[in-house]
Amino acid sequence: MKLTRRQLAGVLAPAAALARTAAQPATVAPDEEMRAAREHLKANGETLAAQAVPMSTEPAFQFKV
Amino acid sequence: MAAPGNDVFFQTAAELNARLVKKEFSAEELARAFAERLEQLGPRYNALALPLKAEALKKARAVDKDLKNGRLRGPLQGVPYAVKDLLSYAGQPTTWGARPYVAQIFDYNATVIDKLDAVGGVITGKLAMVELAGGGGYRSAAASLFGPGLNPWDRSRWSGGSSSGSAAAVAAGLVPYALGSETSGSIVTPAAFCGVTALRPTYGLVSRHGAMALSWTLDKLGPFAHSAEDCGRILQVISGKDSQDPGSAGKSFYYTPQYARPLPDLKIGFAATDFADRPDAAARPAFAAALEAVKACGVQLVEAALPPFPYGAVLSTILSAEQASVFEPLIASGKVDELADPSQIAGLKASLEIPARDYLKAMRLRRMLQEAIQMMWGDLDAVIAPARTGIAPKVDEPLSPPPGAASPASRQAPPATPRGFGAIIPAGNLAGLPALVLPCGFAENMPVALQLVGPPWSENTLLAIGKEFQSRTDWHQRKPPGV
Repeated sequence: MKLTRRQLAGVLAPAAALARTAAQPATVAPDEEMRAAREHLKANGETLAAQAVPMSTEPAFQFKV
Repeated sequence: MAAPGNDVFFQTAAELNARLVKKEFSAEELARAFAERLEQLGPRYNALALPLKAEALKKARAVDKDLKNGRLRGPLQGVPYAVKDLLSYAGQPTTWGARPYVAQIFDYNATVIDKLDAVGGVITGKLAMVELAGGGGYRSAAASLFGPGLNPWDRSRWSGGSSSGSAAAVAAGLVPYALGSETSGSIVTPAAFCGVTALRPTYGLVSRHGAMALSWTLDKLGPFAHSAEDCGRILQVISGKDSQDPGSAGKSFYYTPQYARPLPDLKIGFAATDFADRPDAAARPAFAAALEAVKACGVQLVEAALPPFPYGAVLSTILSAEQASVFEPLIASGKVDELADPSQIAGLKASLEIPARDYLKAMRLRRMLQEAIQMMWGDLDAVIAPARTGIAPKVDEPLSPPPGAASPASRQAPPATPRGFGAIIPAGNLAGLPALVLPCGFAENMPVALQLVGPPWSENTLLAIGKEFQSRTDWHQRKPPGV
């Protein structure tokens, strides 16, 4: 779909105006954030690894039971 | 025909439709009233993503013609509504609440919007949301293109996420109903924090075609409304087979609470600890009274608990792996750095590193926990628990502690397997179960809510219990001060 710049500006104006009111989260160094994110995933992996699963248990492919 | 008065803003969809059919006012007048209210008050709660007044008035005029000619299309005909900005609406921006997608425009409607359009629904706007529906994990209520979702009950508090605008708009009477989405908690949480009724349908019952994907195996769409009955009526319209959604179950839903089993026959599982110990102290009296109100509905309450599994770790691993694949192009392009929440940026980047071993282990555990939950339904027809154990947090409060910070006592990491139904949000989502959120009281002048969760396709049972509960209580009809 083609829109002119003026049309695009018109439809985006409300969003842009509201975005200006957004509060900013506290600053944490990006390296520190990455370390924390990796640790979280690692902890999840360790929790999963501690669970015994019979060899015959296949991954779920139905997502409602 | 008189113009609609202020009494319309908190009426149910069915009540509004009845007044339209009686020609108390026109659909165009009703659409104008709601569209202008949404435009005027939506920004007050950072709830509005995009006003669609012109489109609403055009559609409403068409509805008026239908009504004039006696073409009745059911209880949503002529009733305004709005949708989370995660759903595509042809020719208009669909930002997914995130700066990298601020100029994104699709040329087709989400299936749910087409379905509502077909019964005369009048879309008045798109509603704010947490960026990318929270993908990557966010630490701040400000993780949104539109600013932190502000709670109509107290604007210093969060409206919840990720369907922030959907819950806030219904709570403030800006729309009679709204659509949102849930991957894990994004309908239940904002509905509880804002004190509105909401329904998370069984996985696969509602088409997600035209919705942002976050996790293909977990995503669901559902309604926020002023009553359980409205949720049922909306679900009837938006459900059904859709070949454009690979997750579609091919099933329809007909709202027929009159054919639900008698309530005294129903066994509802609950855990005393969920009501007496887990909630914040201020919320315990409200939850205790709510449990008594549920009992008064005539159902049998049976002490029970979820089978023990590490639900949180399983869900988090599956969600992380799937979102990494969904947003790989965003991450690879570097545009992920434009997101508002640094922890979300890091979470998305780190998700790309999840080993296949972990994802597969999580999916195998998912099968085991699904089987265990299936066994639980042999003894129970539904379970009940607090939707959230406390009230909405302050918007300037971190939602989780920053890296390296000592956790306050109230925010200690939960045990891997909480007792009772403490893990019902991840468990319910992993098993694709429906959940009905029912406002059930107040703590510190803020709403709290129950969630009723049942087996797949048990929406009519949940709605029948919800309808009875709401006939005995008025929590769902309370209005925030100053609206």
